[in-house]
Amino acid sequence: MPEFSPIDFAVPAFVLLVLIEMIWAQRKRPGGYEPRDTLTSLAFGLGSSVTGLLTGGAVLALSLWLYQFRLFDFGAEWWMLWWLWPLCFVLDDLGYYWFHRFAHRVRWFWASHVNHHSSQHYNYSTALRQSWTSFFALSFIFRIPLTLLGFHPAMILFVGAFNLVYQFWIHTEAIGRMPRWFEAVMNTPSHHRVHHATNPLYLDRNYAGTFIVWDKIFGTFQAETDSERIRYGIVRQLGTFNLLWSVFHEWVGIAQDVWRAPWRHKLSYVWRPPGWTHDGSRDTSDMLRAQWLERQAPAAPEASEKSVPNDNSIAVKEKPA
Amino acid sequence: MAFLVQFTASLLAILVLAWFARRLGLGRDARIRDEEHAQLLADEVVYGFEALKTAVDEFGRAALLQDAAGRVILVKLHGAQFSGRLLGPEAEALIWDDLGERELQVSSGEWLFGKACLHIADPDDWARAVKAAKEPAHA
Repeated sequence: MPEFSPIDFAVPAFVLLVLIEMIWAQRKRPGGYEPRDTLTSLAFGLGSSVTGLLTGGAVLALSLWLYQFRLFDFGAEWWMLWWLWPLCFVLDDLGYYWFHRFAHRVRWFWASHVNHHSSQHYNYSTALRQSWTSFFALSFIFRIPLTLLGFHPAMILFVGAFNLVYQFWIHTEAIGRMPRWFEAVMNTPSHHRVHHATNPLYLDRNYAGTFIVWDKIFGTFQAETDSERIRYGIVRQLGTFNLLWSVFHEWVGIAQDVWRAPWRHKLSYVWRPPGWTHDGSRDTSDMLRAQWLERQAPAAPEASEKSVPNDNSIAVKEKPA
Repeated sequence: MAFLVQFTASLLAILVLAWFARRLGLGRDARIRDEEHAQLLADEVVYGFEALKTAVDEFGRAALLQDAAGRVILVKLHGAQFSGRLLGPEAEALIWDDLGERELQVSSGEWLFGKACLHIADPDDWARAVKAAKEPAHA
């Protein structure tokens, strides 16, 4: 097994792309970057690499232990099987889709993943806004099935790193749309902008890592519409650049909600979707989307629910959709 | 040791990138343009919020909006973007008199969210509105 870390090699390219995008932003979209936001995002990335280093050993040890219970054995020289690599990549991407979907739909996982969505900007520095608490949130469990299937943990880590590198370049507003065939199969800046949006139409859509086909297969795909001005971030924007609050705010929120809730509802604040409350005082993404659809319907009964030809649909009161 | 070197180098790279963003003048000049803009921003805070009364800071730093139910939303500049809160019992409103210039300072009660200063025509009315505002139950 060759020793090679795709991320180590990609970091200089990440830095270069951030610089290029900043120059683009200066000319085309000065509001696309904000120095304090950038600093927070990059500090997230640095902290995440530290926590990854601290906890990675434990995850690897657990994976190696589980590997002995594998269903298929690809032999001692598994890395020589060329077809195993792309197969592992595709299956790992499928696993990523489900991890990502749970990370948005279960508050426990969201508390960790929200870090990545907490910026109101969408640029290459946002891509580096990675979680510090993914180990605590047990996010690694989504890769266990691959290990049990027979893929060596080192191979899974390797293809997972490539997946992460792929996802970097899609965090930009500088690229409009890719060729149709590419948009049909791959995750692209356009598809991922939708994913980072807080517009009700776009909430909890496009969970894909590399291949957008998973969203199409599992019914969570939403195309970007030219007329919908995207707002990035989270439904309740943080309103601060404080790094520690940005990292831990949702964990604090869970703790507060569990503490205050009646006994029979306590666990629901952990496993139900973000925004769920036992008294209905907050909204989940499904509730927001339903309200949005309700607001659109009377004005334009003929309109398709995916057609929103207005600058800012969430704010529209009377205009037809 | 290698880790410390890598960490320090990364930290320096981060600071350089943030400095570069500042040097390029990115993220400046954001402001709340007018009442319509404030309404759009308030609607992002509370979906469906319809303001009957709006006050936008003269310099576009913040805005206050009140709906028919008496609820008040504070929207303020946050870097190059905007952020807002539905004001509740924790909210505070103070009027500062600086050499005859009266300014309303509004806090949501959320420490990290910060305070917003508004140079508006009728700060007393809005101070009263903020004090009367009650956020719905929020677990």
